[in-house]
Amino acid sequence: MNTVSHVIITPEETLLDGKCIFRGSITGLYREFAGDYPKFFKMDSLCRLGFMAAELLLKNIPAPIRENAAIVLFNRNGSLITDRNYQKTISDDNYFPSPALFVYTLANIVTGEIAIRNKIYGESSFYILDEYNAAQIEDISASVFITSSPSLLLTGWVDYNDETDYLADMKLVTDKETDLR
Amino acid sequence: MNELIDKLKTQLIEALNLEDMTITDIDTEAPLFGSGLGLDSIDALELIVLLEREYGIKLTNPAEGKEIFRSVATIADYVSKNRTK
Repeated sequence: MNTVSHVIITPEETLLDGKCIFRGSITGLYREFAGDYPKFFKMDSLCRLGFMAAELLLKNIPAPIRENAAIVLFNRNGSLITDRNYQKTISDDNYFPSPALFVYTLANIVTGEIAIRNKIYGESSFYILDEYNAAQIEDISASVFITSSPSLLLTGWVDYNDETDYLADMKLVTDKETDLR
Repeated sequence: MNELIDKLKTQLIEALNLEDMTITDIDTEAPLFGSGLGLDSIDALELIVLLEREYGIKLTNPAEGKEIFRSVATIADYVSKNRTK
């Protein structure tokens, strides 16, 4: 596979293709590099993280190429932080559940948020692994190009534990040298 | 009624995570769905929960909800006539 672009987002910094482009929170990153999508504020933390990684990776990719992209993401914690938040809201006997919180109690929602924003119609999947496993991620990502023919693939790790412990390590890849202009 | 309208706007901002918005940014008569604030179906469910939690109003007829949630003004009108708390 050919890597087109690579982003790493941690609580300390955001690296795009090896260069530090931002230091600060995910919301700060949104205000600096997106800022035109109010739905961002409705998302849970995992989705905000994956959404911003995708924003940085896809910003220079023309819409017709983006449409046929595929999305395959991985993490360890699933949507656990939102699951816990939701559980808190329903632990009282006289509870009022929050539909807006409930919809994020699935980790794969992040792939949907990215697809909606970027009008991506290719396949998408989300894997929850025991731990970060670069070889397994590489194998599964490569298999996408065998089973379908996406124009490009958005793939990698997106895991959110709390505001001091999260990581997006995502790449935009093609199966060969492809002109993406 | 103006006090209720401002309270509803504050509750909408909080319940729907309308970050960066203040009550002066929300037009009382503007459509809440589609254009206007651009709310979606999940937001509609949040509004139904909000009315029950804050005002003791249980909405059971979906068709009725469409008219009630047309704008902040229509919500305020319905709440003032049907609230139980």
